[in-house]
Amino acid sequence: MTSIEKIVTDFADADAGNVRAAGFSRPRTVSKNWLLIISWIAPLVLLVGWEWLAQAGWLSPQVLPAPSKVARTTFKLLLSGSLVNDLGVSLLRAAAGFAIGGAVGFALGTLVGFSTIAQALIDRSVQMIRAIPFLAMVPLVIVWFGVGEAEKIFLVSLGVAFPIYINTTLGIRQVDPKLLELGRVQGLSTWSTIRRIILPGALPSILTGVRYALATAWLALVVAETIGAQSGLGFLAMDAREFLRTDVIVLTILIYALIGVAADAITRWLERRLLRWHPNYAEASA
Amino acid sequence: MTLHAVPLRSVPAVVVSGLRRSYGARHVIDRLDLRIDRGEFVALLGESGCGKTTLLRALAGLDPVQGGHIDAPRRPAVVFQEHRLLPWENLWRNVSLGLEGGNPRQRAAHALAEVGLGERLDDWPRNLSGGQAQRVALARALVQEPELLLLDEPFAALDALTRIRMHELVKELVARHRPGVLLVTHDVDEAIALADRILVMRHGAIAFEHSAVARGSAAATRTRLLHELGVISTTAQVV
Repeated sequence: MTSIEKIVTDFADADAGNVRAAGFSRPRTVSKNWLLIISWIAPLVLLVGWEWLAQAGWLSPQVLPAPSKVARTTFKLLLSGSLVNDLGVSLLRAAAGFAIGGAVGFALGTLVGFSTIAQALIDRSVQMIRAIPFLAMVPLVIVWFGVGEAEKIFLVSLGVAFPIYINTTLGIRQVDPKLLELGRVQGLSTWSTIRRIILPGALPSILTGVRYALATAWLALVVAETIGAQSGLGFLAMDAREFLRTDVIVLTILIYALIGVAADAITRWLERRLLRWHPNYAEASA
Repeated sequence: MTLHAVPLRSVPAVVVSGLRRSYGARHVIDRLDLRIDRGEFVALLGESGCGKTTLLRALAGLDPVQGGHIDAPRRPAVVFQEHRLLPWENLWRNVSLGLEGGNPRQRAAHALAEVGLGERLDDWPRNLSGGQAQRVALARALVQEPELLLLDEPFAALDALTRIRMHELVKELVARHRPGVLLVTHDVDEAIALADRILVMRHGAIAFEHSAVARGSAAATRTRLLHELGVISTTAQVV
C-alpha cells in the first residue's frame, strides 16, 4: 500500500511537469482592453461622419436619413407598440420554421448517419433538392401555400433543414470508431452508445449546422416577408417604401442585423456550454 | 497447455481451445490453446502480424469466433494502447462507463484513488498527460472487477520513465485485484518484468512458453526469448 502511494506521488510530480510545460500563451504587446477599444473606433467614426453629412445636407433624407432621425423613429414606433408587434411576429415565424426544419433535418441526418440503408434511400434525393437554391423555390411555394404564414414558415424550414441534416450526418460519421469499440468492450447497450458516445461526438458538427441554419433561417424570413405580408419586419419595410420612409427602412435593416448578431451569440453560448470539454471551447470552463 | 503444471485449486479466468481465425486463405490464428488462471500474469510476445492482437480482440469479444471455443466466465476488461477516454465526459463518468450496480461515482472515485487520481473526479481528460490518461483507462478496467484483464500494448506510447512507473503500478494493482492478465507486447523486457508466464506466438499458435518457475537469470531469459522471436538467429549465443 505504501509503495503504491509512493509510485502515485512520483507520477503526480512527473505529470504535473508535463502539463505545465504544455501550456503557453501568445506574446501580447497591447493589452486586451485596448484592442477592444481600438476595434470600436472605426464604426464610431463612420456613424459620426454619417450624422454630420446628413446634418450638413449632403445626404438627402430620402437616400439616407441621419442616425438621430432613425433613433427618433425607433422611439416613436416603440411607443406606439407597432414595432414590438411586428418584431414578435417575425421572431415567431423564424422560431416555428427553425423548429420544424431543425427537427426534420436532425431526424433525417440521424437516420442517414446511423444506417447505410437509410443513406442509400434518402441521401441522394436530399442532395438533389439541396442543389436548388432554396430561394428559387419561392414561386412554387407561393403556388402551394399562397401568401400567408404557412408559406413563410415553410421557406424558413427549407433553409434550416439542409445545414442541420448535412452536419448531423457528418458528425455521426466522424465519431471515432475506436470509441465505438470501447463502448462494446464496456458492454454498453445500443441506446447508451448513442447517448454517451455517438451524439456527444457528433455535437460539435451539429452545432456548426445550427449556426449556418440560423443565418439561412433569417435570410429566408427576410425574403418571405418582403414578398407579401400584413405584419412582421419585412412588412414594416415594404410599407415604409410605399411612403418613402427611408428612416423606417433603415431601422428594419438594423434590426435584422441585430437579430443576426444575437442568433450568433446564442450559438456561441451554446457551444461554450455544451462543448466545455472541447479544447477549442475550453475558455469558459474552470 | 501441457507445457506448464497447473497449480492446484487454480481457477481459470479464460480457457481457449482450438481457436481459429482466418482472413481469406490465411490462418491468423490456427488451433490455438491457452489457459489463464485468476491471479496469473501472462505476457504474449510475437512479431507484428503473428496474430497476437487478433487473439486479444477475439478474447475481448470484438471479433467473432470462427472455430474453437473461448470459455470466459464474464466479459473481460480491456486497456488499449490509446487511452480511449471520452473527451466529453469527466474522469469519474469515464471510469464508470458501462458500470452496472449502484454508487457509480463512489466506485469510480475509489478506482481513481487507486491509480493516484482520486482528487480529479470532475476533471476533463484533456487536462491529463499521457501517463495520467492511461492510468484512468486502467481504473476504468479495474472498476469492473474483471476476472480477465486484457492489456493491448498499453504502455507502448508512454515515455521510458513513465512506462517504468506504470509497470510498478500495474504489478501492485494486479496483485491486489488478482484478475487473470494477458499482456500483449513486443517489449521483451516488459514481459520479463511483469509476467509469471511468457508466451511467444508464431504463425497463429503458441510456439514457445516460458514460466517464471523455470526461469534462469533475466539475461538468459531475454536471450532465449529474442532467439524465439527470431531476432537472434543462432542458439550459440544463449548463455
